[in-house]
Amino acid sequence: MPSYKLTYFNVRGRAELIRLLFATGGIPYEDVRIGRDKWPELKPKTPMGQIPILEVDGQVYCQSMAIARFVAREAGLLGESSSDQARADMLLDGGAEVGELLKEVVLEKDASKRAEKKKEFSEKSLPHFLTLYEGFANDSGHFVGESLTWADISFFNMMDFLTAEFPSALEGYDKLNKIIENVKSNPGIAKWLKERPVTDH
Amino acid sequence: EKMPAYKVYYFNARGRAEPTRLLLAAAGVPFEDVRFEVEKWPEYKPKMPMGQAPVLEVDGTMICQSAAMARFVARETGRAGKTNLEMAQADMIVNGVSDMINIMIDYHYSEPDETRKAEKKKKFFDTTLPQFLGHFEKLLVANNGGDGFFAGDGLTHAETFFLCLYESISKENPNVLSAFPKLAALV
Repeated sequence: MPSYKLTYFNVRGRAELIRLLFATGGIPYEDVRIGRDKWPELKPKTPMGQIPILEVDGQVYCQSMAIARFVAREAGLLGESSSDQARADMLLDGGAEVGELLKEVVLEKDASKRAEKKKEFSEKSLPHFLTLYEGFANDSGHFVGESLTWADISFFNMMDFLTAEFPSALEGYDKLNKIIENVKSNPGIAKWLKERPVTDH
Repeated sequence: EKMPAYKVYYFNARGRAEPTRLLLAAAGVPFEDVRFEVEKWPEYKPKMPMGQAPVLEVDGTMICQSAAMARFVARETGRAGKTNLEMAQADMIVNGVSDMINIMIDYHYSEPDETRKAEKKKKFFDTTLPQFLGHFEKLLVANNGGDGFFAGDGLTHAETFFLCLYESISKENPNVLSAFPKLAALV
């Protein structure tokens, strides 16, 4: 079995989806978390000057989504057919767009601007996204086919961040709530959620 | 076996549809290249899975999100990389290039203030872009010395994304790849 080493800061951030996927697949890996003071030393050694990075038997990969897709494939969570995989990709990318909008809200330092952005997000972008995705979810609580894929896990991860800011966001979205339940009840994920370091973000 | 029917929906521009069009063209796969004028967009928008373009329609199934589309066509035409590791290499380049494209789209379309826009553009061309071109050059060289491709030994969606970035940046600065010989040769 290849050796996997994930390096990131001690936060969930852009590495958490990857960690969740390793956990779902029951794939052992080294979960390296570095302090900010160690970053300048590491930065020039990374492919694009960014983390997370994943080392696989010495080969280094960057770009969190590329890494996540790699781990999802190893864990059999990509989707079965090519069109299933494309569906998962498209749902993930659409979610990432909304994730960026959420980040803009959360990172806004000016208090009144932040309140404005938060209001706009919760009244427009968020309901639009959730309604759309409720439509993409099927009755069994999956986005792609009838079994767990990384599309479901990625949605769960995103909601984990989002509900910190908007706790009641998922109220009334029956199928989306089912997806969350399906993900949380996966044994690998349940174990990780219990054991993972608790961090601000 | 009957070949699937492909349709690409987008505005009459290269933009976010071009990587997919290039992959279809590279494989000699016929497709309906649907281009609509901006005024016609409100008609198409409700039919698109996320109300956005481009969209790839394959035998009636609609796939949106430009990277998802390109990766699908790359897989279908045998150009996605042969091993999981090659696929990760290709994907990593696509994501890095997309980050650059998104910066350009952001200052070009989303920045209303002309001074801020010029500032962002300058920062991109003076600092961010050369940094990333340096990374891409290094990654290209790491794959068999840099005289081939980004991943494995053939064209993948990584090249089509990079080519689209190149077309945009070279308009601004025709010599943008002068410090990156392997990237220049690849293009």
